[in-house]
Amino acid sequence: MKNIAVVTLILALSTGAFAHSRVDTTTPENDAVVAEVPAEISFNFAADIRLTRVDMTHQDHPSVRLDLGDQTSFDQAFTLPLQGMGEGTYRIEWRGLGVDGHAMQGEFTFTVD
Amino acid sequence: MPDIWGIAAILAKLMLYVGIAGSVGLVINRAVFADLVSPVSDRIRTTAALFAALALVAAILGFMLRGAALTGGADGMADPEMLGLLWQTPVGDVLVYRIAGAVLIIIGVFTPRVGQWIALAGGLIALWSFAQIGHVPELETTGVRLLLLLHLLGIAFWIGVLGPLRALSRRPEHIASAADLGHRFGQAAAVIVPVLILAGLLMAWLLLGDLRALVATGYGQALVIKLVLVGAVLTLAAANKLRFIPAMQAGDDKAARHLARSIEIETAVILVVLAATATLTSVLTLPN
Repeated sequence: MKNIAVVTLILALSTGAFAHSRVDTTTPENDAVVAEVPAEISFNFAADIRLTRVDMTHQDHPSVRLDLGDQTSFDQAFTLPLQGMGEGTYRIEWRGLGVDGHAMQGEFTFTVD
Repeated sequence: MPDIWGIAAILAKLMLYVGIAGSVGLVINRAVFADLVSPVSDRIRTTAALFAALALVAAILGFMLRGAALTGGADGMADPEMLGLLWQTPVGDVLVYRIAGAVLIIIGVFTPRVGQWIALAGGLIALWSFAQIGHVPELETTGVRLLLLLHLLGIAFWIGVLGPLRALSRRPEHIASAADLGHRFGQAAAVIVPVLILAGLLMAWLLLGDLRALVATGYGQALVIKLVLVGAVLTLAAANKLRFIPAMQAGDDKAARHLARSIEIETAVILVVLAATATLTSVLTLPN
Protein backbone atom coordinates (compact mmCIF):
# COMPACT_ATOMS: atom_id res chain seq x y z
CA MET A 1 0.00 0.00 0.00
CA LYS A 2 2.80 2.32 1.03
CA ASN A 3 4.73 1.52 -2.14
CA ILE A 4 1.69 2.07 -4.32
CA ALA A 5 1.20 5.47 -2.70
CA VAL A 6 4.82 6.42 -3.33
CA VAL A 7 4.77 5.30 -6.97
CA THR A 8 1.44 7.03 -7.60
CA LEU A 9 2.77 10.22 -6.11
CA ILE A 10 5.91 10.06 -8.23
CA LEU A 11 3.89 9.50 -11.40
CA ALA A 12 1.48 12.28 -10.49
CA LEU A 13 4.28 14.74 -9.89
CA SER A 14 6.47 13.82 -12.79
CA THR A 15 5.01 16.09 -15.41
CA GLY A 16 8.04 18.33 -15.68
CA ALA A 17 10.73 18.07 -18.28
CA PHE A 18 13.46 15.55 -17.68
CA ALA A 19 16.83 17.23 -17.51
CA HIS A 20 17.66 20.61 -18.90
CA SER A 21 17.62 21.13 -22.63
CA ARG A 22 19.14 24.41 -23.63
CA VAL A 23 19.57 24.12 -27.37
CA ASP A 24 19.58 27.54 -28.96
CA THR A 25 19.32 26.86 -32.67
CA THR A 26 19.59 23.96 -35.07
CA THR A 27 20.15 23.75 -38.82
CA PRO A 28 17.71 22.97 -40.33
CA GLU A 29 15.44 24.71 -37.87
CA ASN A 30 12.81 22.77 -35.99
CA ASP A 31 9.75 22.14 -38.24
CA ALA A 32 11.55 23.54 -41.29
CA VAL A 33 10.61 22.39 -44.78
CA VAL A 34 13.61 22.15 -47.10
CA ALA A 35 13.85 21.29 -50.80
CA GLU A 36 16.84 18.95 -50.56
CA VAL A 37 18.22 16.62 -47.95
CA PRO A 38 20.90 18.63 -46.12
CA ALA A 39 24.38 17.13 -46.24
CA GLU A 40 24.88 17.98 -42.60
CA ILE A 41 22.96 19.09 -39.55
CA SER A 42 24.22 21.46 -36.89
CA PHE A 43 23.43 22.39 -33.31
CA ASN A 44 24.15 25.57 -31.39
CA PHE A 45 23.84 25.38 -27.62
CA ALA A 46 23.56 28.18 -25.10
CA ALA A 47 26.36 26.66 -23.01
CA ASP A 48 29.11 24.09 -23.49
CA ILE A 49 27.90 20.54 -23.76
CA ARG A 50 29.35 17.20 -24.79
CA LEU A 51 27.05 15.42 -27.25
CA THR A 52 26.76 11.78 -26.25
CA ARG A 53 24.21 10.42 -28.70
CA VAL A 54 22.39 11.60 -31.80
CA ASP A 55 19.76 9.44 -33.52
CA MET A 56 18.02 10.14 -36.79
CA THR A 57 14.63 8.70 -37.69
CA HIS A 58 13.35 9.02 -41.26
CA GLN A 59 9.60 8.52 -41.65
CA ASP A 60 8.72 5.10 -40.24
CA HIS A 61 12.17 3.59 -40.65
CA PRO A 62 14.06 2.40 -37.59
CA SER A 63 16.27 5.11 -36.14
CA VAL A 64 19.91 5.34 -37.15
CA ARG A 65 22.67 6.41 -34.81
CA LEU A 66 24.73 9.27 -36.24
CA ASP A 67 28.50 9.09 -35.97
CA LEU A 68 29.85 11.88 -33.77
CA GLY A 69 33.24 11.54 -35.47
CA ASP A 70 35.83 13.66 -33.70
CA GLN A 71 33.25 15.95 -32.10
CA THR A 72 33.63 14.42 -28.71
CA SER A 73 34.61 17.38 -26.58
CA PHE A 74 32.68 20.04 -24.69
CA ASP A 75 31.61 22.74 -27.12
CA GLN A 76 28.67 24.96 -28.09
CA ALA A 77 28.53 24.20 -31.81
CA PHE A 78 28.41 20.81 -33.51
CA THR A 79 28.04 19.79 -37.13
CA LEU A 80 27.33 16.20 -38.12
CA PRO A 81 27.17 14.70 -41.63
CA LEU A 82 23.77 13.36 -42.56
CA GLN A 83 23.10 10.28 -44.69
CA GLY A 84 20.15 11.38 -46.84
CA MET A 85 17.20 9.02 -47.15
CA GLY A 86 15.08 10.94 -49.63
CA GLU A 87 11.91 12.92 -49.10
CA GLY A 88 9.92 12.83 -45.94
CA THR A 89 10.17 13.85 -42.32
CA TYR A 90 13.40 13.47 -40.38
CA ARG A 91 13.47 13.48 -36.59
CA ILE A 92 16.77 14.13 -34.85
CA GLU A 93 16.99 13.16 -31.18
CA TRP A 94 20.04 14.20 -29.23
CA ARG A 95 21.44 13.61 -25.78
CA GLY A 96 24.36 15.27 -24.09
CA LEU A 97 26.14 16.17 -20.89
CA GLY A 98 26.49 19.69 -19.49
CA VAL A 99 29.77 20.79 -17.91
CA ASP A 100 27.94 20.82 -14.57
CA GLY A 101 27.09 17.12 -14.93
CA HIS A 102 23.48 17.57 -16.04
CA ALA A 103 22.17 15.15 -18.63
CA MET A 104 20.41 17.03 -21.41
CA GLN A 105 18.18 15.87 -24.22
CA GLY A 106 16.05 17.24 -26.99
CA GLU A 107 14.85 16.72 -30.51
CA PHE A 108 13.91 18.55 -33.67
CA THR A 109 12.26 17.60 -36.93
CA PHE A 110 12.43 18.83 -40.49
CA THR A 111 10.77 17.78 -43.71
CA VAL A 112 12.30 17.32 -47.14
CA ASP A 113 9.67 18.06 -49.75
CA MET B 1 6.10 12.49 -17.64
CA PRO B 2 9.74 11.37 -17.38
CA ASP B 3 10.90 8.29 -19.27
CA ILE B 4 11.75 5.03 -17.56
CA TRP B 5 15.24 6.42 -16.76
CA GLY B 6 13.73 9.44 -15.05
CA ILE B 7 11.58 7.20 -12.84
CA ALA B 8 14.56 4.96 -12.10
CA ALA B 9 16.56 8.06 -11.15
CA ILE B 10 13.83 9.13 -8.69
CA LEU B 11 13.76 5.70 -7.07
CA ALA B 12 17.56 5.58 -6.79
CA LYS B 13 17.47 9.05 -5.20
CA LEU B 14 14.80 7.92 -2.74
CA MET B 15 17.00 4.93 -1.79
CA LEU B 16 19.91 7.32 -1.34
CA TYR B 17 17.87 9.64 0.92
CA VAL B 18 16.63 6.74 3.05
CA GLY B 19 20.14 5.23 3.28
CA ILE B 20 21.93 8.45 4.18
CA ALA B 21 19.26 9.98 6.46
CA GLY B 22 18.75 6.63 8.18
CA SER B 23 22.41 5.85 8.79
CA VAL B 24 23.50 9.39 9.71
CA GLY B 25 20.43 9.82 11.94
CA LEU B 26 21.12 6.61 13.84
CA VAL B 27 24.79 7.56 14.29
CA ILE B 28 23.81 10.99 15.66
CA ASN B 29 21.16 9.61 18.03
CA ARG B 30 23.45 6.84 19.26
CA ALA B 31 26.05 9.51 20.11
CA VAL B 32 23.66 12.09 21.62
CA PHE B 33 21.43 9.72 23.61
CA ALA B 34 24.05 7.03 24.35
CA ASP B 35 22.77 6.36 27.88
CA LEU B 36 19.11 6.05 26.87
CA VAL B 37 19.49 3.92 23.76
CA SER B 38 22.07 1.51 25.23
CA PRO B 39 19.56 -1.42 25.39
CA VAL B 40 19.19 -1.27 21.60
CA SER B 41 22.72 -0.04 20.86
CA ASP B 42 23.81 -3.19 18.99
CA ARG B 43 20.72 -3.11 16.84
CA ILE B 44 21.27 0.58 16.06
CA ARG B 45 24.82 -0.23 14.98
CA THR B 46 23.77 -3.01 12.60
CA THR B 47 20.87 -0.98 11.20
CA ALA B 48 23.09 2.08 10.67
CA ALA B 49 25.58 -0.08 8.75
CA LEU B 50 22.77 -1.55 6.62
CA PHE B 51 21.41 1.92 5.82
CA ALA B 52 24.95 3.06 4.91
CA ALA B 53 25.27 0.02 2.62
CA LEU B 54 21.94 0.97 1.01
CA ALA B 55 23.28 4.51 0.49
CA LEU B 56 26.43 3.08 -1.09
CA VAL B 57 24.45 0.94 -3.55
CA ALA B 58 22.03 3.80 -4.30
CA ALA B 59 24.89 6.27 -4.93
CA ILE B 60 26.54 3.91 -7.43
CA LEU B 61 23.20 3.03 -9.04
CA GLY B 62 22.30 6.73 -9.35
CA PHE B 63 25.66 7.40 -11.02
CA MET B 64 25.14 4.54 -13.49
CA LEU B 65 21.61 5.74 -14.25
CA ARG B 66 23.06 9.11 -15.23
CA GLY B 67 25.13 7.15 -17.73
CA ALA B 68 21.90 5.67 -19.10
CA ALA B 69 20.42 9.18 -19.44
CA LEU B 70 23.37 10.06 -21.70
CA THR B 71 22.76 7.24 -24.18
CA GLY B 72 19.03 6.76 -23.69
CA GLY B 73 19.48 3.04 -23.02
CA ALA B 74 20.64 0.48 -20.46
CA ASP B 75 23.98 0.22 -22.30
CA GLY B 76 24.92 3.63 -20.87
CA MET B 77 24.89 2.28 -17.30
CA ALA B 78 28.10 0.37 -17.94
CA ASP B 79 29.53 2.38 -20.83
CA PRO B 80 33.10 3.29 -19.81
CA GLU B 81 33.09 6.36 -22.06
CA MET B 82 29.85 7.77 -20.55
CA LEU B 83 30.80 6.96 -16.95
CA GLY B 84 34.28 8.37 -17.57
CA LEU B 85 32.73 11.62 -18.81
CA LEU B 86 30.46 11.87 -15.76
CA TRP B 87 33.40 11.14 -13.49
CA GLN B 88 35.09 14.36 -14.66
CA THR B 89 32.08 16.51 -13.75
CA PRO B 90 30.87 17.47 -10.24
CA VAL B 91 28.70 14.32 -10.44
CA GLY B 92 31.92 12.31 -10.04
CA ASP B 93 33.01 14.37 -7.01
CA VAL B 94 29.66 13.79 -5.37
CA LEU B 95 29.93 10.03 -5.94
CA VAL B 96 33.30 10.08 -4.16
CA TYR B 97 31.83 12.01 -1.19
CA ARG B 98 28.93 9.56 -0.89
CA ILE B 99 31.05 6.42 -1.15
CA ALA B 100 33.62 7.81 1.32
CA GLY B 101 30.86 8.90 3.72
CA ALA B 102 29.05 5.55 3.65
CA VAL B 103 32.27 3.55 4.05
CA LEU B 104 33.36 5.74 7.00
CA ILE B 105 29.96 5.20 8.66
CA ILE B 106 30.26 1.42 8.26
CA ILE B 107 33.85 1.41 9.59
CA GLY B 108 32.91 3.85 12.36
CA VAL B 109 29.96 1.95 13.79
CA PHE B 110 32.03 -1.21 14.14
CA THR B 111 35.03 0.57 15.71
CA PRO B 112 35.00 1.03 19.50
CA ARG B 113 35.34 4.49 21.14
CA VAL B 114 36.75 6.77 18.36
CA GLY B 115 34.46 4.92 15.97
CA GLN B 116 31.51 7.20 16.62
CA TRP B 117 33.57 10.22 15.57
CA ILE B 118 34.63 8.42 12.38
CA ALA B 119 30.97 7.60 11.69
CA LEU B 120 29.88 11.20 12.42
CA ALA B 121 32.60 12.54 10.09
CA GLY B 122 31.41 10.10 7.41
CA GLY B 123 27.83 11.28 7.95
CA LEU B 124 28.85 14.94 7.52
CA ILE B 125 30.74 14.14 4.31
CA ALA B 126 27.74 12.24 2.92
CA LEU B 127 25.34 15.09 3.81
CA TRP B 128 27.74 17.71 2.42
CA SER B 129 27.58 15.93 -0.95
CA PHE B 130 24.04 17.30 -1.33
CA ALA B 131 25.40 20.83 -1.05
CA GLN B 132 27.70 20.21 -4.06
CA ILE B 133 25.25 19.72 -6.94
CA GLY B 134 21.57 20.42 -7.38
CA HIS B 135 19.19 23.34 -7.40
CA VAL B 136 20.26 24.81 -4.07
CA PRO B 137 24.05 24.65 -4.69
CA GLU B 138 23.40 26.28 -8.08
CA LEU B 139 22.45 29.43 -6.18
CA GLU B 140 26.20 29.59 -5.60
CA THR B 141 26.08 31.04 -2.13
CA THR B 142 28.05 29.41 0.67
CA GLY B 143 25.46 30.56 3.19
CA VAL B 144 22.69 28.69 1.37
CA ARG B 145 24.83 25.54 1.18
CA LEU B 146 25.31 25.69 4.95
CA LEU B 147 21.57 26.24 5.33
CA LEU B 148 20.96 23.07 3.30
CA LEU B 149 23.46 21.14 5.45
CA LEU B 150 21.68 22.37 8.58
CA HIS B 151 18.32 21.34 7.10
CA LEU B 152 19.67 17.86 6.30
CA LEU B 153 21.28 17.44 9.73
CA GLY B 154 17.95 18.28 11.37
CA ILE B 155 16.08 15.80 9.14
CA ALA B 156 18.64 13.05 9.83
CA PHE B 157 18.45 13.65 13.59
CA TRP B 158 14.65 13.39 13.44
CA ILE B 159 14.56 10.28 11.22
CA GLY B 160 17.24 8.62 13.33
CA VAL B 161 15.29 8.82 16.57
CA LEU B 162 12.25 6.99 15.17
CA GLY B 163 13.73 3.46 15.11
CA PRO B 164 15.26 3.45 18.61
CA LEU B 165 12.17 5.17 20.09
CA ARG B 166 9.84 2.60 18.55
CA ALA B 167 12.07 -0.34 19.58
CA LEU B 168 12.28 0.86 23.20
CA SER B 169 8.57 1.63 23.49
CA ARG B 170 7.68 -1.89 22.36
CA ARG B 171 9.63 -3.47 25.24
CA PRO B 172 7.70 -3.19 28.50
CA GLU B 173 10.93 -3.21 30.56
CA HIS B 174 12.29 -0.19 28.67
CA ILE B 175 9.22 2.03 28.60
CA ALA B 176 10.83 4.44 31.08
CA SER B 177 13.87 4.80 28.78
CA ALA B 178 11.54 5.28 25.80
CA ALA B 179 9.64 8.01 27.67
CA ASP B 180 12.95 9.71 28.60
CA LEU B 181 14.24 9.47 25.04
CA GLY B 182 10.99 10.87 23.68
CA HIS B 183 11.06 13.68 26.23
CA ARG B 184 14.68 14.66 25.58
CA PHE B 185 14.24 14.42 21.81
CA GLY B 186 11.12 16.57 22.16
CA GLN B 187 13.14 19.24 23.98
CA ALA B 188 15.82 19.22 21.26
CA ALA B 189 13.16 19.16 18.54
CA ALA B 190 11.51 22.28 19.98
CA VAL B 191 14.64 24.15 18.83
CA ILE B 192 15.74 22.04 15.85
CA VAL B 193 12.39 21.62 14.08
CA PRO B 194 11.59 25.36 13.78
CA VAL B 195 15.13 25.92 12.42
CA LEU B 196 14.62 23.00 10.01
CA ILE B 197 11.34 24.43 8.76
CA LEU B 198 12.64 27.99 8.51
CA ALA B 199 15.69 26.78 6.57
CA GLY B 200 13.40 24.80 4.25
CA LEU B 201 11.06 27.72 3.65
CA LEU B 202 13.95 30.12 3.07
CA MET B 203 15.49 27.76 0.49
CA ALA B 204 12.10 27.29 -1.19
CA TRP B 205 11.68 31.05 -1.43
CA LEU B 206 15.20 31.47 -2.85
CA LEU B 207 14.51 28.76 -5.44
CA LEU B 208 11.04 29.88 -6.46
CA GLY B 209 11.35 33.63 -5.95
CA ASP B 210 7.63 34.10 -6.41
CA LEU B 211 4.61 32.70 -4.57
CA ARG B 212 2.68 32.34 -7.83
CA ALA B 213 5.18 29.68 -8.94
CA LEU B 214 3.80 27.48 -6.14
CA VAL B 215 0.57 26.89 -8.05
CA ALA B 216 1.62 27.69 -11.60
CA THR B 217 4.50 25.22 -12.02
CA GLY B 218 5.02 21.47 -11.57
CA TYR B 219 7.93 22.23 -9.25
CA GLY B 220 5.78 24.49 -7.09
CA GLN B 221 2.95 21.96 -6.94
CA ALA B 222 5.31 19.18 -5.87
CA LEU B 223 6.65 21.51 -3.20
CA VAL B 224 3.11 22.21 -1.96
CA ILE B 225 2.46 18.45 -1.71
CA LYS B 226 5.72 18.09 0.23
CA LEU B 227 4.72 20.90 2.62
CA VAL B 228 1.27 19.41 3.24
CA LEU B 229 2.85 16.05 4.05
CA VAL B 230 5.40 17.72 6.34
CA GLY B 231 2.42 19.32 8.09
CA ALA B 232 0.97 15.83 8.65
CA VAL B 233 4.29 14.61 10.09
CA LEU B 234 4.42 17.63 12.41
CA THR B 235 0.89 16.91 13.64
CA LEU B 236 1.84 13.31 14.44
CA ALA B 237 5.04 14.45 16.14
CA ALA B 238 3.10 16.97 18.21
CA ALA B 239 0.67 14.23 19.31
CA ASN B 240 3.63 12.07 20.36
CA LYS B 241 5.27 14.88 22.28
CA LEU B 242 2.19 16.32 23.96
CA ARG B 243 0.13 13.19 24.55
CA PHE B 244 1.87 9.82 24.36
CA ILE B 245 5.24 10.72 25.88
CA PRO B 246 3.74 12.44 29.00
CA ALA B 247 1.38 9.45 29.44
CA MET B 248 4.34 7.07 29.18
CA GLN B 249 6.24 9.13 31.76
CA ALA B 250 3.24 8.63 34.03
CA GLY B 251 3.59 4.86 33.53
CA ASP B 252 0.84 4.25 30.98
CA ASP B 253 1.74 1.06 29.02
CA LYS B 254 -1.00 1.56 26.48
CA ALA B 255 0.45 4.94 25.49
CA ALA B 256 3.71 3.18 24.57
CA ARG B 257 1.84 0.98 22.09
CA HIS B 258 0.10 4.03 20.65
CA LEU B 259 3.48 5.76 20.31
CA ALA B 260 4.97 2.78 18.45
CA ARG B 261 2.00 2.80 16.06
CA SER B 262 2.19 6.57 15.63
CA ILE B 263 5.90 6.28 14.76
CA GLU B 264 5.10 3.68 12.09
CA ILE B 265 2.58 6.02 10.45
CA GLU B 266 5.03 8.94 10.80
CA THR B 267 7.71 6.85 9.05
CA ALA B 268 5.36 6.03 6.17
CA VAL B 269 4.49 9.72 5.67
CA ILE B 270 8.19 10.69 5.88
CA LEU B 271 8.90 8.15 3.11
CA VAL B 272 6.37 9.91 0.89
CA VAL B 273 7.93 13.29 1.80
CA LEU B 274 11.32 11.92 0.72
CA ALA B 275 9.76 10.58 -2.51
CA ALA B 276 8.31 14.03 -3.25
CA THR B 277 11.74 15.54 -2.56
CA ALA B 278 13.46 12.99 -4.82
CA THR B 279 11.05 14.00 -7.59
CA LEU B 280 11.77 17.70 -6.99
CA THR B 281 15.51 17.17 -7.14
CA SER B 282 15.67 14.58 -9.95
CA VAL B 283 13.25 15.33 -12.75
CA LEU B 284 11.50 18.64 -12.12
CA THR B 285 13.13 21.77 -13.44
CA LEU B 286 13.03 25.01 -11.53
CA PRO B 287 10.61 27.65 -12.75
CA ASN B 288 12.59 30.48 -14.30
